[in-house]
Amino acid sequence: MVAFRSRDAAGRPSGLLLRSVLYALLALGLIVLDKRYDQLGRIRRVLSVVVYPLELAVTSPFEGWHWLSESVTTREVLRAENARLRAQLRDARFGLQRYAALEAENLRLRDLRNATAGVSARYLVGNIMDVDLDAFRERVLVDKGAGQGLYVGQAVLDAHGVFGQVDAVNAHTADVILISDATSEIPVMINRTGQRTIAVGTGDPGRLKLPYLPTTADVRTGDLLVTSGLGGVYPEGYPVGTVTAVRHDPTRSLADVDVRSAATIDSSRELLFIWATGPAHAPVAQPTPAPAAVRVPARAPAPARSTPRKPAPVASGRPQ
Amino acid sequence: MSREPRLRRSRVLLSAFLALTLAIVPLPGIVDPLRPDFLVLVVLYWSIESPRAGGLALAFFSGLAIDVLKGMVLGEHALALTLTAAWATHLRLRLRVFSILQQALTILALLSLYQFVLFWVDGATGYPVTVWSRWLAPLVDALIWPAVVGVLSRLHER
Repeated sequence: MVAFRSRDAAGRPSGLLLRSVLYALLALGLIVLDKRYDQLGRIRRVLSVVVYPLELAVTSPFEGWHWLSESVTTREVLRAENARLRAQLRDARFGLQRYAALEAENLRLRDLRNATAGVSARYLVGNIMDVDLDAFRERVLVDKGAGQGLYVGQAVLDAHGVFGQVDAVNAHTADVILISDATSEIPVMINRTGQRTIAVGTGDPGRLKLPYLPTTADVRTGDLLVTSGLGGVYPEGYPVGTVTAVRHDPTRSLADVDVRSAATIDSSRELLFIWATGPAHAPVAQPTPAPAAVRVPARAPAPARSTPRKPAPVASGRPQ
Repeated sequence: MSREPRLRRSRVLLSAFLALTLAIVPLPGIVDPLRPDFLVLVVLYWSIESPRAGGLALAFFSGLAIDVLKGMVLGEHALALTLTAAWATHLRLRLRVFSILQQALTILALLSLYQFVLFWVDGATGYPVTVWSRWLAPLVDALIWPAVVGVLSRLHER
């Protein structure tokens, strides 16, 4: 090895080796503490306050542009938008007319089965900030954080379906990992048949796949996938996506199924953070829960969560 | 070289802040993998030209800042930047007399080390990113190294 003994301009040894080893060990220590022991939430929160002005500086021109383009729209555009929204509201109302009756019926049926309804009541609306996190991972930064009571593992929706889950909580911001990220897995149910499986992200925006379905499974193009509520991260019954392609390769025992996410992952700006209330699925007829593969969020307990969450019976969320 | 160390230090900080800002400005998806990593270039420049103004502390803390900004494992970029900056500081007397082409080639080697450390920490912490386009980053950064030197030396000498 080359003698790594640097000298300064006057020829004296500069102690570069010692200092670089110290800094490198410090960094390694941080990596281990953060990854292995999950101890650095507080430090990350403090540091995030330091870099928050930077994020604001980057995102504010975009915010200003949005504001400007909104405030200079013409009367005609606004009127057209108003008409469109009114039509949407009418259609939504129409769809909701029978909802109350159906929900009551559903509750009665669930009562009969001794199951609890995993309906979440509390939610919060946040905005995606115009800050780029990583070119190789599907993640976004949002403008709500520990101050609003977000917690790691919280489910995030947009107007059309499941968007992702909270991955890290800073003081004023939070990272959300999308369901289409390559490390994301979400327990789903095929709405038509009730078959349960796991949808895995691909790393492409808005694309998922179902790698664990046998070739004999009843799945067709156009099937709607909803969250099954297993795993305890995502509450039950929210749309995840639709099946876009099913390929049966006779030499393999598993089908090849492509899914397009219901959430408009590349164009939505407003997100909903929801607080799950109670166990998200029926505790009856479940095998004894395996050791939790999901890290149950314990750092910032949600005020609205009254009952403790059950350990997850299947792997979901972030594989560790 | 600037006379006053305090003035110089403020310039180092200014350039580091600019690089951090450029690292999180949103870009359209296709060109995003080609985004130059200005922070590592800035850190390399100051490690070579004026190690006492920035040095390893600059590398470590700006790496920590980018870890927090990008939501990475804390310490990932800090480690990679520290090692790269240490090597660059070690080579600085030779690098200063190199032609700009030789310099860019050496920088390419340093940047490959940087990218490899990031790759390794990504894999070791369970978020392996194995797309080939991440290895374009050292090439892109080495290509814009002369431009970065031009701008920073202007700032440095003023």
